[in-house]
Amino acid sequence: MSMRSQVYAWNGANNNTTLANNAATAYGTFNNLSGTQISIFIGGFGNNITKPAETTATEFVVIEDISCTPSLNANAGVATNDIAGVIAGAGAAANGVGNAAAQLNTGQLATWQLTNNLAAGAAYTGCSAGVFGPRMYVQVRINTTDYFLNPDNVTNAGIPGTASPYPRSLDFQPSFNLYPDVYVLPGQVWDVRVTSFARDSAAAASIGAGGATVAVAYTGDWGKAPAGTAGIVAGDAVMNGIDFNAFCKYTLYDGPDALIANKLLEMGISINPGNVDWYKRSLLSAQGM
Amino acid sequence: MSMRSQVYEWSNLAPGTVVGGGVGSVLNRSQNDLPVQVPANVSTDIFIGGIGNNITKPAETTATQFIVIEDISCTPDLAGSVQVRINTTDYFQNPDVTQMNGVPGTASPYPRGAPSVNPTGTGANTATGTVITTFPDNLLKSFDLYPDIYVLPGQVFQILYTTVQGTGATAFAGNTAGQVVSAFVKYTLYDGPDALIANKLLELGVTINPNNIDWYKRSLIEQQTRSAVAAAAAPTNGGGQ
Repeated sequence: MSMRSQVYAWNGANNNTTLANNAATAYGTFNNLSGTQISIFIGGFGNNITKPAETTATEFVVIEDISCTPSLNANAGVATNDIAGVIAGAGAAANGVGNAAAQLNTGQLATWQLTNNLAAGAAYTGCSAGVFGPRMYVQVRINTTDYFLNPDNVTNAGIPGTASPYPRSLDFQPSFNLYPDVYVLPGQVWDVRVTSFARDSAAAASIGAGGATVAVAYTGDWGKAPAGTAGIVAGDAVMNGIDFNAFCKYTLYDGPDALIANKLLEMGISINPGNVDWYKRSLLSAQGM
Repeated sequence: MSMRSQVYEWSNLAPGTVVGGGVGSVLNRSQNDLPVQVPANVSTDIFIGGIGNNITKPAETTATQFIVIEDISCTPDLAGSVQVRINTTDYFQNPDVTQMNGVPGTASPYPRGAPSVNPTGTGANTATGTVITTFPDNLLKSFDLYPDIYVLPGQVFQILYTTVQGTGATAFAGNTAGQVVSAFVKYTLYDGPDALIANKLLELGVTINPNNIDWYKRSLIEQQTRSAVAAAAAPTNGGGQ
Protein backbone atom coordinates (compact mmCIF):
# COMPACT_ATOMS: atom_id res chain seq x y z
CA MET A 1 0.00 0.00 0.00
CA SER A 2 2.23 2.77 -1.22
CA MET A 3 -0.50 5.28 -1.99
CA ARG A 4 -3.03 5.70 0.75
CA SER A 5 -5.93 8.07 1.12
CA GLN A 6 -5.93 9.34 4.68
CA VAL A 7 -8.13 11.53 6.84
CA TYR A 8 -7.81 13.12 10.22
CA ALA A 9 -10.89 14.42 12.00
CA TRP A 10 -10.51 16.55 15.07
CA ASN A 11 -13.05 17.46 17.72
CA GLY A 12 -12.46 19.95 20.47
CA ALA A 13 -14.10 17.93 23.19
CA ASN A 14 -11.64 16.75 25.75
CA ASN A 15 -10.70 13.14 25.37
CA ASN A 16 -10.92 12.36 29.02
CA THR A 17 -13.82 9.99 29.36
CA THR A 18 -14.19 10.79 33.01
CA LEU A 19 -14.97 14.42 32.24
CA ALA A 20 -17.98 16.03 30.61
CA ASN A 21 -17.44 17.45 27.16
CA ASN A 22 -17.14 20.95 28.40
CA ALA A 23 -15.09 20.18 31.46
CA ALA A 24 -11.65 21.63 31.69
CA THR A 25 -8.63 19.48 30.98
CA ALA A 26 -5.17 20.15 32.26
CA TYR A 27 -4.93 22.55 29.34
CA GLY A 28 -8.26 24.32 29.95
CA THR A 29 -11.19 24.22 27.58
CA PHE A 30 -10.96 24.90 23.89
CA ASN A 31 -14.09 27.02 23.88
CA ASN A 32 -12.34 29.53 26.11
CA LEU A 33 -9.31 29.76 23.90
CA SER A 34 -10.56 32.46 21.60
CA GLY A 35 -8.07 33.82 19.09
CA THR A 36 -5.38 31.27 19.84
CA GLN A 37 -4.20 29.03 17.03
CA ILE A 38 -4.12 25.39 18.05
CA SER A 39 -2.70 22.37 16.29
CA ILE A 40 -5.27 19.68 15.68
CA PHE A 41 -2.49 17.11 15.97
CA ILE A 42 -0.62 18.08 19.10
CA GLY A 43 -2.41 21.19 20.36
CA GLY A 44 -3.40 19.68 23.69
CA PHE A 45 -7.13 20.03 23.05
CA GLY A 46 -9.53 17.41 21.77
CA ASN A 47 -8.19 14.27 20.14
CA ASN A 48 -4.47 14.45 19.47
CA ILE A 49 -1.68 12.25 18.17
CA THR A 50 1.59 11.29 19.78
CA LYS A 51 4.01 13.49 17.85
CA PRO A 52 4.02 16.27 15.25
CA ALA A 53 2.89 15.26 11.78
CA GLU A 54 5.92 14.87 9.58
CA THR A 55 7.10 13.01 6.54
CA THR A 56 10.05 10.66 6.61
CA ALA A 57 12.67 10.58 3.86
CA THR A 58 10.55 8.05 1.98
CA GLU A 59 7.18 9.71 2.36
CA PHE A 60 5.35 12.39 0.41
CA VAL A 61 2.05 13.86 1.57
CA VAL A 62 -0.46 15.71 -0.58
CA ILE A 63 -3.06 17.64 1.41
CA GLU A 64 -6.23 17.72 -0.65
CA ASP A 65 -8.86 19.20 1.63
CA ILE A 66 -9.15 21.02 4.91
CA SER A 67 -12.32 22.19 6.57
CA CYS A 68 -13.79 23.11 9.92
CA THR A 69 -17.02 24.04 11.66
CA PRO A 70 -18.94 26.78 9.83
CA SER A 71 -20.68 29.85 11.17
CA LEU A 72 -23.72 31.77 10.08
CA ASN A 73 -24.35 35.49 10.21
CA ALA A 74 -27.38 36.61 12.13
CA ASN A 75 -28.94 39.74 13.42
CA ALA A 76 -27.34 40.65 16.68
CA GLY A 77 -29.24 40.03 19.84
CA VAL A 78 -31.73 37.51 18.60
CA ALA A 79 -32.36 33.89 19.24
CA THR A 80 -31.75 31.33 16.56
CA ASN A 81 -32.74 28.20 18.32
CA ASP A 82 -36.02 26.75 19.32
CA ILE A 83 -35.90 27.71 22.94
CA ALA A 84 -39.60 26.99 23.20
CA GLY A 85 -38.99 23.41 22.22
CA VAL A 86 -36.28 23.07 24.80
CA ILE A 87 -38.45 24.44 27.52
CA ALA A 88 -41.33 22.24 26.46
CA GLY A 89 -39.17 19.24 27.15
CA ALA A 90 -38.66 17.75 23.71
CA GLY A 91 -35.10 16.67 23.95
CA ALA A 92 -34.59 19.27 26.55
CA ALA A 93 -32.34 17.29 28.83
CA ALA A 94 -30.15 16.15 25.96
CA ASN A 95 -29.98 19.65 24.59
CA GLY A 96 -28.88 20.79 27.97
CA VAL A 97 -25.66 18.89 27.60
CA GLY A 98 -25.23 20.05 24.08
CA ASN A 99 -25.76 17.06 21.86
CA ALA A 100 -29.39 16.87 20.89
CA ALA A 101 -30.06 16.52 17.22
CA ALA A 102 -33.72 16.86 18.10
CA GLN A 103 -33.15 20.54 18.66
CA LEU A 104 -31.55 20.99 15.30
CA ASN A 105 -32.82 24.05 13.53
CA THR A 106 -30.53 24.12 10.60
CA GLY A 107 -27.89 21.84 9.19
CA GLN A 108 -25.14 21.07 11.60
CA LEU A 109 -26.07 23.84 13.96
CA ALA A 110 -27.41 21.35 16.43
CA THR A 111 -26.86 22.25 20.03
CA TRP A 112 -26.15 25.86 19.25
CA GLN A 113 -28.33 28.39 20.96
CA LEU A 114 -27.86 32.02 20.14
CA THR A 115 -29.74 33.70 22.88
CA ASN A 116 -31.15 37.14 23.15
CA ASN A 117 -29.74 37.56 26.57
CA LEU A 118 -30.38 41.25 26.74
CA ALA A 119 -34.05 40.83 26.16
CA ALA A 120 -34.22 37.85 28.44
CA GLY A 121 -32.58 39.70 31.23
CA ALA A 122 -30.78 37.91 33.96
CA ALA A 123 -32.10 34.53 32.95
CA TYR A 124 -29.42 34.31 30.31
CA THR A 125 -25.77 34.82 30.99
CA GLY A 126 -24.65 34.60 27.41
CA CYS A 127 -24.54 37.16 24.67
CA SER A 128 -24.87 37.06 20.97
CA ALA A 129 -23.15 39.47 18.68
CA GLY A 130 -24.56 38.49 15.38
CA VAL A 131 -22.66 35.34 14.49
CA PHE A 132 -24.20 31.95 14.92
CA GLY A 133 -21.28 29.57 15.23
CA PRO A 134 -17.66 29.43 16.33
CA ARG A 135 -16.07 31.78 13.75
CA MET A 136 -13.57 29.05 13.11
CA TYR A 137 -10.62 29.07 10.69
CA VAL A 138 -8.13 26.43 9.61
CA GLN A 139 -4.57 27.03 8.46
CA VAL A 140 -1.88 24.74 7.05
CA ARG A 141 1.68 25.17 8.23
CA ILE A 142 4.68 23.57 6.54
CA ASN A 143 7.72 23.65 8.80
CA THR A 144 7.39 27.25 10.02
CA THR A 145 5.55 28.73 7.04
CA ASP A 146 1.82 29.37 7.03
CA TYR A 147 0.19 28.58 3.71
CA PHE A 148 -2.66 31.09 3.65
CA LEU A 149 -1.86 34.79 3.58
CA ASN A 150 -3.78 38.03 3.27
CA PRO A 151 -3.24 40.04 0.09
CA ASP A 152 -0.75 42.17 2.03
CA ASN A 153 1.31 39.00 2.57
CA VAL A 154 0.54 38.91 6.27
CA THR A 155 -0.40 35.48 7.56
CA ASN A 156 -4.04 35.06 8.49
CA ALA A 157 -6.08 32.55 10.43
CA GLY A 158 -6.65 30.45 7.33
CA ILE A 159 -9.71 29.15 5.54
CA PRO A 160 -13.01 30.05 7.19
CA GLY A 161 -15.17 27.09 8.13
CA THR A 162 -17.98 28.97 6.46
CA ALA A 163 -16.09 28.66 3.15
CA SER A 164 -14.96 25.08 3.72
CA PRO A 165 -17.46 23.58 6.15
CA TYR A 166 -17.11 20.35 8.07
CA PRO A 167 -19.37 18.57 8.17
CA ARG A 168 -21.03 19.65 4.95
CA SER A 169 -24.78 20.03 4.84
CA LEU A 170 -27.52 21.63 2.80
CA ASP A 171 -27.06 24.77 4.83
CA PHE A 172 -23.30 24.83 4.53
CA GLN A 173 -21.68 23.94 1.25
CA PRO A 174 -18.11 24.68 0.25
CA SER A 175 -17.15 27.94 -1.45
CA PHE A 176 -13.54 26.84 -1.39
CA ASN A 177 -11.67 24.01 -3.01
CA LEU A 178 -8.05 23.39 -2.06
CA TYR A 179 -6.61 23.43 -5.56
CA PRO A 180 -3.73 23.30 -6.25
CA ASP A 181 -3.07 20.81 -3.48
CA VAL A 182 -0.53 21.41 -0.75
CA TYR A 183 2.59 19.26 -1.01
CA VAL A 184 4.52 18.13 2.04
CA LEU A 185 7.93 17.07 0.82
CA PRO A 186 10.04 14.34 2.46
CA GLY A 187 11.48 15.43 5.77
CA GLN A 188 9.06 18.30 6.34
CA VAL A 189 6.94 18.87 9.42
CA TRP A 190 3.36 19.88 8.72
CA ASP A 191 0.50 21.00 10.82
CA VAL A 192 -3.17 21.87 10.53
CA ARG A 193 -4.07 24.62 12.97
CA VAL A 194 -7.46 25.92 13.99
CA THR A 195 -8.49 29.24 15.45
CA SER A 196 -11.86 30.22 16.83
CA PHE A 197 -12.99 33.70 17.66
CA ALA A 198 -15.91 32.64 19.80
CA ARG A 199 -15.85 32.15 23.50
CA ASP A 200 -17.90 30.63 26.22
CA SER A 201 -19.64 33.31 28.18
CA ALA A 202 -18.68 31.54 31.38
CA ALA A 203 -15.52 33.57 31.16
CA ALA A 204 -17.42 36.81 30.60
CA ALA A 205 -15.66 39.89 31.80
CA SER A 206 -16.47 43.52 31.48
CA ILE A 207 -14.96 46.39 29.63
CA GLY A 208 -15.11 50.09 30.20
CA ALA A 209 -16.79 52.22 27.57
CA GLY A 210 -16.95 55.92 28.10
CA GLY A 211 -16.49 55.48 31.78
CA ALA A 212 -19.27 52.95 32.05
CA THR A 213 -18.82 49.27 32.50
CA VAL A 214 -20.79 47.09 30.16
CA ALA A 215 -20.96 43.39 29.63
CA VAL A 216 -18.72 41.92 26.99
CA ALA A 217 -20.51 40.39 24.07
CA TYR A 218 -18.47 37.52 22.75
CA THR A 219 -18.95 37.12 19.05
CA GLY A 220 -20.27 33.75 18.12
CA ASP A 221 -21.16 32.97 21.67
CA TRP A 222 -24.12 30.69 21.96
CA GLY A 223 -24.70 31.73 25.52
CA LYS A 224 -25.69 29.73 28.50
CA ALA A 225 -28.87 28.01 29.30
CA PRO A 226 -31.17 30.01 31.57
CA ALA A 227 -30.80 29.13 35.20
CA GLY A 228 -33.74 27.38 36.71
CA THR A 229 -35.56 26.72 33.46
CA ALA A 230 -37.25 23.37 33.44
CA GLY A 231 -35.44 20.74 31.47
CA ILE A 232 -32.18 22.60 31.23
CA VAL A 233 -29.27 22.27 33.54
CA ALA A 234 -28.73 25.66 35.07
CA GLY A 235 -25.72 27.41 33.65
CA ASP A 236 -24.86 24.54 31.38
CA ALA A 237 -22.67 25.77 28.60
CA VAL A 238 -24.43 25.37 25.31
CA MET A 239 -21.15 25.85 23.50
CA ASN A 240 -18.36 23.51 24.40
CA GLY A 241 -15.50 21.69 22.87
CA ILE A 242 -17.69 19.19 21.10
CA ASP A 243 -18.99 21.98 18.87
CA PHE A 244 -15.56 22.53 17.29
CA ASN A 245 -14.60 20.27 14.43
CA ALA A 246 -11.82 20.19 11.91
CA PHE A 247 -11.03 17.81 9.09
CA CYS A 248 -8.07 17.13 6.87
CA LYS A 249 -7.96 14.80 3.87
CA TYR A 250 -4.59 13.88 2.40
CA THR A 251 -2.88 11.19 0.39
CA LEU A 252 0.25 9.54 1.71
CA TYR A 253 2.75 8.32 -0.86
CA ASP A 254 5.33 5.96 0.56
CA GLY A 255 8.41 4.16 -0.71
CA PRO A 256 8.72 3.98 -4.51
CA ASP A 257 5.58 6.04 -4.98
CA ALA A 258 7.13 8.84 -2.95
CA LEU A 259 10.12 8.78 -5.29
CA ILE A 260 7.78 8.98 -8.25
CA ALA A 261 5.94 11.86 -6.56
CA ASN A 262 9.24 13.71 -6.28
CA LYS A 263 9.93 13.01 -9.93
CA LEU A 264 6.51 14.33 -10.95
CA LEU A 265 7.18 17.44 -8.88
CA GLU A 266 10.39 18.02 -10.79
CA MET A 267 8.52 17.56 -14.05
CA GLY A 268 5.81 20.02 -13.10
CA ILE A 269 3.08 17.42 -13.11
CA SER A 270 0.34 17.44 -10.51
CA ILE A 271 0.82 14.73 -7.96
CA ASN A 272 -2.19 12.51 -7.70
CA PRO A 273 -2.71 8.76 -7.81
CA GLY A 274 -3.61 8.84 -11.49
CA ASN A 275 -0.40 10.59 -12.49
CA VAL A 276 1.73 8.34 -10.27
CA ASP A 277 0.18 5.35 -12.01
CA TRP A 278 0.75 7.00 -15.40
CA TYR A 279 4.45 7.41 -14.57
CA LYS A 280 4.71 3.76 -13.55
CA ARG A 281 3.10 2.71 -16.82
CA SER A 282 5.54 4.95 -18.70
CA LEU A 283 8.47 3.23 -17.00
CA LEU A 284 7.06 -0.18 -17.83
CA SER A 285 6.49 0.84 -21.44
CA ALA A 286 10.06 2.11 -21.69
CA GLN A 287 11.22 -1.32 -20.57
CA GLY A 288 9.19 -2.93 -23.32
CA MET A 289 6.51 -4.37 -21.10
CA MET B 1 5.14 27.01 -3.18
CA SER B 2 4.76 29.26 -6.20
CA MET B 3 1.09 28.56 -6.84
CA ARG B 4 -1.08 28.98 -3.82
CA SER B 5 -4.82 28.88 -3.36
CA GLN B 6 -5.82 31.80 -1.14
CA VAL B 7 -8.99 33.20 0.37
CA TYR B 8 -10.02 36.39 2.12
CA GLU B 9 -13.15 36.65 4.21
CA TRP B 10 -14.54 39.98 5.37
CA SER B 11 -17.25 40.70 7.92
CA ASN B 12 -18.44 43.97 9.38
CA LEU B 13 -17.18 42.95 12.80
CA ALA B 14 -14.83 44.98 14.98
CA PRO B 15 -14.44 45.46 18.71
CA GLY B 16 -16.89 47.77 20.42
CA THR B 17 -19.41 47.88 23.19
CA VAL B 18 -22.63 46.02 23.64
CA VAL B 19 -24.53 49.29 23.64
CA GLY B 20 -22.79 50.98 20.77
CA GLY B 21 -21.89 48.08 18.54
CA GLY B 22 -18.57 47.64 16.79
CA VAL B 23 -16.53 50.58 15.67
CA GLY B 24 -14.33 51.04 12.64
CA SER B 25 -11.95 48.35 11.47
CA VAL B 26 -9.51 45.89 12.94
CA LEU B 27 -6.52 43.98 11.64
CA ASN B 28 -7.02 40.92 13.81
CA ARG B 29 -10.29 39.29 14.66
CA SER B 30 -11.21 38.87 18.28
CA GLN B 31 -13.92 37.45 20.46
CA ASN B 32 -15.11 40.94 21.31
CA ASP B 33 -16.06 41.83 17.75
CA LEU B 34 -19.49 43.35 17.26
CA PRO B 35 -21.37 44.44 14.14
CA VAL B 36 -20.21 47.73 12.62
CA GLN B 37 -22.76 49.73 10.72
CA VAL B 38 -22.43 49.50 6.95
CA PRO B 39 -24.10 52.48 5.31
CA ALA B 40 -26.56 51.93 2.49
CA ASN B 41 -25.43 52.33 -1.09
CA VAL B 42 -21.80 52.93 -0.23
CA SER B 43 -19.18 50.65 -1.77
CA THR B 44 -16.82 49.42 0.91
CA ASP B 45 -13.40 48.00 0.10
CA ILE B 46 -13.20 44.76 2.05
CA PHE B 47 -9.42 45.14 2.33
CA ILE B 48 -8.94 48.72 3.49
CA GLY B 49 -12.46 50.13 3.65
CA GLY B 50 -12.31 51.02 7.34
CA ILE B 51 -15.14 48.67 8.30
CA GLY B 52 -14.70 45.26 9.89
CA ASN B 53 -11.54 43.21 9.46
CA ASN B 54 -9.03 44.92 7.18
CA ILE B 55 -5.44 44.45 6.05
CA THR B 56 -2.47 46.77 6.32
CA LYS B 57 -2.34 48.12 2.77
CA PRO B 58 -4.23 47.99 -0.52
CA ALA B 59 -4.26 44.62 -2.21
CA GLU B 60 -1.80 44.71 -5.05
CA THR B 61 0.50 42.48 -7.00
CA THR B 62 4.24 42.98 -7.08
CA ALA B 63 6.27 42.72 -10.27
CA THR B 64 6.70 39.01 -9.66
CA GLN B 65 3.12 38.15 -8.74
CA PHE B 66 0.06 37.29 -10.75
CA ILE B 67 -3.38 36.81 -9.21
CA VAL B 68 -6.34 34.98 -10.65
CA ILE B 69 -9.62 35.73 -8.87
CA GLU B 70 -11.78 32.64 -9.11
CA ASP B 71 -14.77 33.30 -6.90
CA ILE B 72 -16.48 36.17 -5.15
CA SER B 73 -19.55 36.00 -2.97
CA CYS B 74 -21.31 37.82 -0.16
CA THR B 75 -24.19 37.69 2.28
CA PRO B 76 -27.41 37.63 0.30
CA ASP B 77 -29.41 39.58 2.89
CA LEU B 78 -29.88 43.37 2.70
CA ALA B 79 -29.47 43.33 -1.08
CA GLY B 80 -25.73 42.95 -0.80
CA SER B 81 -23.50 42.85 -3.86
CA VAL B 82 -19.83 42.43 -4.50
CA GLN B 83 -17.77 44.12 -7.20
CA VAL B 84 -14.18 43.72 -8.39
CA ARG B 85 -12.15 46.82 -9.20
CA ILE B 86 -8.78 46.59 -10.97
CA ASN B 87 -6.87 49.84 -10.56
CA THR B 88 -9.79 52.23 -11.21
CA THR B 89 -11.92 50.03 -13.43
CA ASP B 90 -14.96 48.16 -12.19
CA TYR B 91 -15.29 44.69 -13.66
CA PHE B 92 -19.06 44.28 -13.66
CA GLN B 93 -21.08 46.78 -15.64
CA ASN B 94 -24.68 47.27 -16.67
CA PRO B 95 -25.55 46.55 -20.30
CA ASP B 96 -25.52 50.28 -20.91
CA VAL B 97 -21.96 50.37 -19.59
CA THR B 98 -22.93 52.25 -16.46
CA GLN B 99 -21.75 51.48 -12.96
CA MET B 100 -23.41 48.76 -10.93
CA ASN B 101 -22.95 47.21 -7.52
CA GLY B 102 -21.65 43.93 -8.87
CA VAL B 103 -22.71 40.35 -8.34
CA PRO B 104 -25.66 40.12 -5.95
CA GLY B 105 -25.29 37.87 -2.91
CA THR B 106 -28.44 36.06 -3.95
CA ALA B 107 -26.61 34.95 -7.11
CA SER B 108 -23.34 34.16 -5.35
CA PRO B 109 -24.21 33.58 -1.69
CA TYR B 110 -21.74 33.25 1.14
CA PRO B 111 -21.93 30.82 2.74
CA ARG B 112 -23.43 28.61 0.11
CA GLY B 113 -26.66 27.27 1.47
CA ALA B 114 -27.20 30.43 3.49
CA PRO B 115 -30.70 31.76 4.02
CA SER B 116 -31.63 34.74 1.87
CA VAL B 117 -32.56 36.60 5.04
CA ASN B 118 -30.32 36.66 8.09
CA PRO B 119 -31.72 34.57 10.93
CA THR B 120 -33.80 36.78 13.15
CA GLY B 121 -36.31 36.56 15.90
CA THR B 122 -39.97 37.42 15.82
CA GLY B 123 -40.31 38.36 19.43
CA ALA B 124 -38.40 40.26 22.01
CA ASN B 125 -37.93 37.73 24.74
CA THR B 126 -36.45 34.34 24.15
CA ALA B 127 -37.06 33.25 27.69
CA THR B 128 -40.77 33.12 27.05
CA GLY B 129 -40.23 30.87 24.10
CA THR B 130 -41.80 33.27 21.68
CA VAL B 131 -38.84 33.38 19.35
CA ILE B 132 -38.56 30.59 16.86
CA THR B 133 -36.17 31.21 14.06
CA THR B 134 -37.00 29.99 10.63
CA PHE B 135 -34.61 29.41 7.78
CA PRO B 136 -36.79 29.77 4.74
CA ASP B 137 -34.36 28.70 2.07
CA ASN B 138 -30.87 27.46 1.34
CA LEU B 139 -29.47 29.59 -1.45
CA LEU B 140 -27.15 28.02 -3.96
CA LYS B 141 -25.08 29.90 -6.47
CA SER B 142 -26.55 31.06 -9.75
CA PHE B 143 -23.30 32.70 -10.73
CA ASP B 144 -19.94 31.21 -11.54
CA LEU B 145 -16.99 33.56 -12.04
CA TYR B 146 -15.83 32.17 -15.36
CA PRO B 147 -13.73 33.30 -17.08
CA ASP B 148 -11.63 34.22 -14.10
CA ILE B 149 -10.39 37.74 -13.41
CA TYR B 150 -6.68 38.36 -13.88
CA VAL B 151 -4.74 40.84 -11.78
CA LEU B 152 -1.53 41.52 -13.67
CA PRO B 153 1.80 42.34 -12.03
CA GLY B 154 1.81 45.82 -10.55
CA GLN B 155 -1.96 46.25 -10.47
CA VAL B 156 -4.05 47.24 -7.46
CA PHE B 157 -7.30 45.40 -6.93
CA GLN B 158 -10.25 45.97 -4.70
CA ILE B 159 -13.26 43.89 -3.73
CA LEU B 160 -16.15 46.24 -3.04
CA TYR B 161 -19.16 45.27 -0.95
CA THR B 162 -22.33 47.30 -1.28
CA THR B 163 -25.63 46.87 0.53
CA VAL B 164 -28.64 48.72 -0.78
CA GLN B 165 -30.42 48.61 2.55
CA GLY B 166 -27.53 49.16 4.94
CA THR B 167 -27.09 47.45 8.27
CA GLY B 168 -28.38 48.61 11.62
CA ALA B 169 -26.64 51.33 13.52
CA THR B 170 -26.46 49.71 16.91
CA ALA B 171 -25.82 46.14 17.75
CA PHE B 172 -28.59 45.68 20.23
CA ALA B 173 -30.96 48.51 19.46
CA GLY B 174 -33.53 45.96 18.41
CA ASN B 175 -33.98 42.67 16.76
CA THR B 176 -33.56 44.09 13.30
CA ALA B 177 -30.45 46.13 14.01
CA GLY B 178 -26.84 45.16 14.00
CA GLN B 179 -26.80 42.75 11.10
CA VAL B 180 -23.60 40.93 10.32
CA VAL B 181 -22.69 40.73 6.65
CA SER B 182 -19.73 39.08 4.96
CA ALA B 183 -17.92 38.97 1.67
CA PHE B 184 -15.59 36.29 0.39
CA VAL B 185 -13.01 36.09 -2.35
CA LYS B 186 -11.08 33.04 -3.50
CA TYR B 187 -8.03 33.55 -5.66
CA THR B 188 -4.83 31.83 -6.71
CA LEU B 189 -1.54 33.61 -6.22
CA TYR B 190 1.21 32.83 -8.72
CA ASP B 191 4.61 33.97 -7.59
CA GLY B 192 8.11 34.00 -9.07
CA PRO B 193 8.63 31.72 -12.09
CA ASP B 194 4.98 30.70 -12.12
CA ALA B 195 3.97 34.36 -12.46
CA LEU B 196 6.25 34.64 -15.49
CA ILE B 197 4.61 31.57 -16.99
CA ALA B 198 1.20 33.06 -16.22
CA ASN B 199 2.18 36.15 -18.21
CA LYS B 200 3.36 33.95 -21.05
CA LEU B 201 0.06 32.04 -21.07
CA LEU B 202 -1.77 35.35 -21.15
CA GLU B 203 0.21 36.32 -24.24
CA LEU B 204 -0.62 32.98 -25.83
CA GLY B 205 -4.30 33.38 -25.03
CA VAL B 206 -4.33 30.28 -22.86
CA THR B 207 -6.45 30.26 -19.70
CA ILE B 208 -4.35 30.67 -16.58
CA ASN B 209 -4.91 27.90 -14.09
CA PRO B 210 -2.60 25.50 -12.24
CA ASN B 211 -3.08 22.78 -14.87
CA ASN B 212 -1.99 25.02 -17.71
CA ILE B 213 0.96 26.35 -15.75
CA ASP B 214 2.09 22.75 -15.24
CA TRP B 215 1.47 22.02 -18.91
CA TYR B 216 3.70 24.92 -19.91
CA LYS B 217 6.43 23.72 -17.56
CA ARG B 218 6.24 20.26 -19.05
CA SER B 219 6.46 21.74 -22.54
CA LEU B 220 9.62 23.58 -21.58
CA ILE B 221 11.14 20.44 -20.11
CA GLU B 222 10.25 18.38 -23.18
CA GLN B 223 11.69 21.08 -25.43
CA GLN B 224 14.93 21.06 -23.46
CA THR B 225 15.06 17.28 -23.57
CA ARG B 226 14.57 17.26 -27.35
CA SER B 227 17.27 19.90 -27.74
CA ALA B 228 19.67 17.88 -25.60
CA VAL B 229 18.96 14.71 -27.56
CA ALA B 230 19.42 16.54 -30.85
CA ALA B 231 22.68 18.06 -29.67
CA ALA B 232 23.95 14.66 -28.57
CA ALA B 233 22.94 13.11 -31.87
CA ALA B 234 24.54 15.80 -34.02
CA PRO B 235 28.14 14.43 -33.98
CA THR B 236 26.86 10.93 -34.70
CA ASN B 237 24.92 12.14 -37.71
CA GLY B 238 27.88 13.54 -39.48
CA GLY B 239 29.49 15.86 -37.04
CA GLY B 240 32.83 14.24 -37.85
CA GLN B 241 32.58 14.70 -41.61
